[in-house]
Amino acid sequence: MTPDLLKLPHYREQSPEVAARFERLRKRPIVMEVRALTKRFSTPRGEVTALDAVSFSVHRREFMCVIGASGCGKSTLARLLAGLETPTSGEALLDGRPVRGPGPDRGMVFQGYTLFPWLTVKGNVMFGPRMSGRSGPAAEQDARQWIDLVGLSRFENAYPHQLSGGMKQRVAIARALANRPRVLLMDEPFGALDAQTRSQMQHYLLQIWKNVDVTIVFITHDLDEAVYLADRILVLDPHPGRVREVVEVPVPRPRSPDQFLTPPFLSVRRHLDTLIHPPSEKQAQRDLPIVRLTEVGDDVE
Amino acid sequence: MRSILSGWFKVREDLPPGRRTLLTVLSFLIPIGLWCFVSYTPWIWHPEIKLQISAEREGVTTVYVAGDRLSREFFPEFVAAVRAENDTIRAARDSGSVADTSARSARRRNLKILRQLAPVGLAHGWMTRDSSTDDAAIYRLWRDLATGARVATRPALTAENLEIVRDNWAILERHSPTFAYGQLPTEPLLKLVPQGVPANPVYLPAPHEVLAAGWHDFTHQPEDGSPSMGDRVATSIRIIFLGFVISCAVGVPLGILCGTFDTFSRLFEPFIDFFRYLPAPTFSTLLVAIFLAHDAPKIALVFVGTFFQMVLVVAKTTRLLDRSLLEAAQTLGARPRQLISRVVVPGILPDLYNDLRILLGWAWTWLVIAELIGVKTGLTEFIETQGRFRNFDRVFPVIILIGIIGFTTDQILAWLRGVFFPWTGHGGPASRAVARGLVWLPSTIIESARDRAEAMHNRASSP
Ligand SMILES: Nc1ncnc2c1ncn2[C@@H]1O[C@H](COP(=O)(O)OP(=O)(O)O)[C@@H](O)[C@H]1O
Ligand SMILES: [Mg+2]
Repeated sequence: MTPDLLKLPHYREQSPEVAARFERLRKRPIVMEVRALTKRFSTPRGEVTALDAVSFSVHRREFMCVIGASGCGKSTLARLLAGLETPTSGEALLDGRPVRGPGPDRGMVFQGYTLFPWLTVKGNVMFGPRMSGRSGPAAEQDARQWIDLVGLSRFENAYPHQLSGGMKQRVAIARALANRPRVLLMDEPFGALDAQTRSQMQHYLLQIWKNVDVTIVFITHDLDEAVYLADRILVLDPHPGRVREVVEVPVPRPRSPDQFLTPPFLSVRRHLDTLIHPPSEKQAQRDLPIVRLTEVGDDVE
Repeated sequence: MRSILSGWFKVREDLPPGRRTLLTVLSFLIPIGLWCFVSYTPWIWHPEIKLQISAEREGVTTVYVAGDRLSREFFPEFVAAVRAENDTIRAARDSGSVADTSARSARRRNLKILRQLAPVGLAHGWMTRDSSTDDAAIYRLWRDLATGARVATRPALTAENLEIVRDNWAILERHSPTFAYGQLPTEPLLKLVPQGVPANPVYLPAPHEVLAAGWHDFTHQPEDGSPSMGDRVATSIRIIFLGFVISCAVGVPLGILCGTFDTFSRLFEPFIDFFRYLPAPTFSTLLVAIFLAHDAPKIALVFVGTFFQMVLVVAKTTRLLDRSLLEAAQTLGARPRQLISRVVVPGILPDLYNDLRILLGWAWTWLVIAELIGVKTGLTEFIETQGRFRNFDRVFPVIILIGIIGFTTDQILAWLRGVFFPWTGHGGPASRAVARGLVWLPSTIIESARDRAEAMHNRASSP
């Protein structure tokens, strides 16, 4: 990528439709507001600042992606928003109310498979409603709808161990959505899937998001995934985790995999690349001090 | 050769099903085969001689009777001593010198010689144990063996002994054709030379002896009024069951609490960890003092033996539950109480079930000690008593029975695991089918009850 092979537009350039869309988005009410959120862990080797004064806001029905190098505090951020961790300082507000502990208004899909192995697909999806005392035929009917939505009607009585990785994550999404959360937090949910399943899942997720009134905060380290899915991308700097930039994605909706090679996609993709992998780091990567270990006279490059 | 072996020894790879079954069968057949081999091959081991015909020696107070075991080294000495006595008698007869003993003691001595054949009569069923001192019958036996009317096969008399039988009978017949104590000759008869077969020590009875003794003990009501084997099994199982169930009823909830809440863990586990090192049997007298006689102290001992271990094991299993399941449940709105009843308990059940299976195996160990405290009861009392009489052929069947009960219980429980926990993916189609049938009704009832309780709880807590 060193020589600029393509003349690309600036990533901030937006077509009129895209600009109008962002205009409308900004007018929508704020669902999740994060104010100077800081999280420090005390470890045997001293204090680790995972997140340092992170502030941003997410509008209703927005699809926000969070990217950053590994260890820059993405998971910590998701867990803070979910209420699974308490912040050292700062706060997260959901519809203006501060987050205190986990609750059904913030659904979460984890990277690892966290389906309850003793429950069938239907049982898993009905878990949330059951916790709030909803059961019976109506709740069951509801659960079926969510299972339909993720396309697993044929598997409603299967146990998790009978499902593939992609199917498990679809159930996890249905399970989170069945609670009708305001925000769906997703922490690298497709990280463990193979490339093909992953792109299929991205496609499913966009369809689900289109049909369900839910705001999504999606954490990933895959830049293409972020650009493909997001309205806006929150870029985190590592050590300590700070907001580097919030990037508006100039790629028009509806999205499709064909857009991967369009100028807006490539421009924002390249910008993210320079944010995450600064040029200095790239140089260091190129010149590994490796001794030549092969003696066969066939130079591969 | 190497390729044949390497097929059986692949690092961390499963064997094909056929070979697995073969090895499973072999794992039982090999020990049994070894036992048979050692028992039925006379030149393997067999360090002793089991007497079939014994003799008393002059001037020696140690008396061996048929059934006694002598060492292989001593037996020839014993035989030689008896032969020497016979030789002396023959020499006296030849020289015509008369032994200088009173008629009474001579008759008593000869009667003892007659009775040497009693074990042979018993072994053939010609006499019963009650009539084994029936001298008239023994007298007839001497006659029949001498005339060839009866032929002994168990054991077959040696040519030497047969000669002696004929010799003696010739003298006896001259005095009286039937038994009469006063008519017994006073001239010394020849003693039968001891006969025996190579045998293993008394603590290793042969398989057929064990089988026969077991068959007898398991099918016959004992005559001395002691409980039948069935009653003993019932007693033992009742003690182990009650002890274990009480242990579970307290230990499992406590273990789950310790594994769930650090407070409980820090409060209970250190002491329990200490207490489990106190050997349960040391409490036996204390338990008898507290719970008095009968089964209570025995049940308490099984409890003490399993409880402390159980709390720690269950707590550990609970802690091994994937945390992310708890977090997922929390993000789905589960409150602490629901976390326990809806996530922790169902999540650990399969592992808990396995833990309890292992602990139940331990409970059998404690049972054996428990049955020995206070008034001895159950299977262990039988083992104790018979062992003291060195009736090991009657001891082994009971030990094996305990093994079989424990092993089959465990195998059944292992199979049922697939029935109870179909989501673990173990168990074949059969157990899955049974699972659906068995689990459907109770689980439906429990589920709806729980849902109802939660709905009521929510209605109560929301304004
Ligand atoms: N429970 C914890 N205790 C101590 N340090 C933690 C804990 N969780 C995360 N961290 C630290 O916080 C930083 C951010 O972690 P994380 O949020 O998992 O990063 P990411 O998800 O972006 O890879 C890392 O340096 C990690 O070591
Ligand atoms: Mg992470």
